[in-house]
Amino acid sequence: MDSSSAPQEFDYLFKLLMIGDSGVGKSSLLLSFTSDEFQDMSPTIGVDFKVKYVAIGGKKLKLAIWDTAGQERFRTLTSSYYRGAQGIIMVYDVTRRDTFTNLSEIWAKEIDLYSTNQDCIKMLVGNKVDKESDRVVSKKEGIDFAREYGCLFIECSAKTRVNVQQCFEELVLKILDTPSLLAEGSKGVKKNIFKDKQPQADASTSSCC
Amino acid sequence: MAKLEAKLGMIVDSVGQFFSGKDQLPWCDSDIIAGCEREVAEAGKQSSDELLKECLLRLSWALVHSKRPQDVQRGIAMLEESLPGTDDPVQQREKLYLLAIGHYRSGDYSRSRDLVERCLMIAPDWRQAVTLKKTIEDKITKDGVIGLGIAATAAGLIAGGIAAAVSRRR
Ligand SMILES: Nc1nc2c(ncn2[C@@H]2O[C@H](COP(=O)(O)OP(=O)(O)OP(=O)(O)O)[C@@H](O)[C@H]2O)c(=O)[nH]1
Ligand SMILES: [Mg+2]
Repeated sequence: MDSSSAPQEFDYLFKLLMIGDSGVGKSSLLLSFTSDEFQDMSPTIGVDFKVKYVAIGGKKLKLAIWDTAGQERFRTLTSSYYRGAQGIIMVYDVTRRDTFTNLSEIWAKEIDLYSTNQDCIKMLVGNKVDKESDRVVSKKEGIDFAREYGCLFIECSAKTRVNVQQCFEELVLKILDTPSLLAEGSKGVKKNIFKDKQPQADASTSSCC
Repeated sequence: MAKLEAKLGMIVDSVGQFFSGKDQLPWCDSDIIAGCEREVAEAGKQSSDELLKECLLRLSWALVHSKRPQDVQRGIAMLEESLPGTDDPVQQREKLYLLAIGHYRSGDYSRSRDLVERCLMIAPDWRQAVTLKKTIEDKITKDGVIGLGIAATAAGLIAGGIAAAVSRRR
């Protein structure tokens, strides 16, 4: 998979969203994916945003990845960013049971309420598998949850980078496989830089980039 | 010669960046601001100070991330007003960060850099602040390069973009 963060041409633009409890490692996963780094991090304020250009499945893609704050006090703000996402990454921490139970208590409900995209692809991610001895949520539980909610599933570690690339790649491949999402992704493509000056012109992409 | 080419490459690149420069920080739509506004109004009716503070922080987040300059100005004013009364270090650095975003968006890069450096003094591992600092510094050097570009080349076709970039710098 070729990748870069410098602006370049692309065939499709996809909006991905990352949600889950505070401290599960959403920002760490994103950093690990976009710049191969890992370090301790402060909680996200509001929403953060990264762009990554990748070539997956023979297509040039621009991924706009929205990383939301897990802290409850930001929830009304973050809920506005579900709109128009083609892919949603739900993250939990395999060493903290509450982050797993909150998936059905909170996060799946948030998706039902705020996602505007019927066909949107969901990916369940169990993070921090490098801390195997502290694990309290088994892989089987993850698989079962994913089956029940119709999500893709992967276990990974932002720290060792195990499965981080695969996580984003599998999600994107599935989006590429879904005609309605593909159609949306090409709507967002603006090769003419001058058109970029009126991002509000297209309401469906205006909060995107 | 190679040097000049490199410089020209950078000029073209920075003009491209100027138009697609919104790739680094999130934007916020006016309906989100309206939502935050409603929350503040409702929280104001209740007696919980804590709740009102949270709502106000969300509103200032939304305002400084807005595309409309008048929202950004309002966000800056709100944050500046509330900062002196903020003792909690976490809230303090959050407000400093949001102020830095506001000043970045309104083109006051040196002020923005000072603020973000204060954030990093409090929390050196704060990734969003690190990213913002880098964005500001890129902007400062790129605008510098655009300025050079005017002197070095008769870049008439991109003059509009350059003039706008330069006037934002002042
Ligand atoms: N051991 C280990 N630690 C991790 C891993 N991923 C993240 N962490 C640590 O977990 C802490 C929280 O990570 P963040 O990425 O900030 O979590 P977040 O989900 O973005 O949290 P919010 O922004 O508050 O929603 C950090 O100190 C990370 O260093 C991992 O794969 N393994
Ligand atoms: Mg985070």
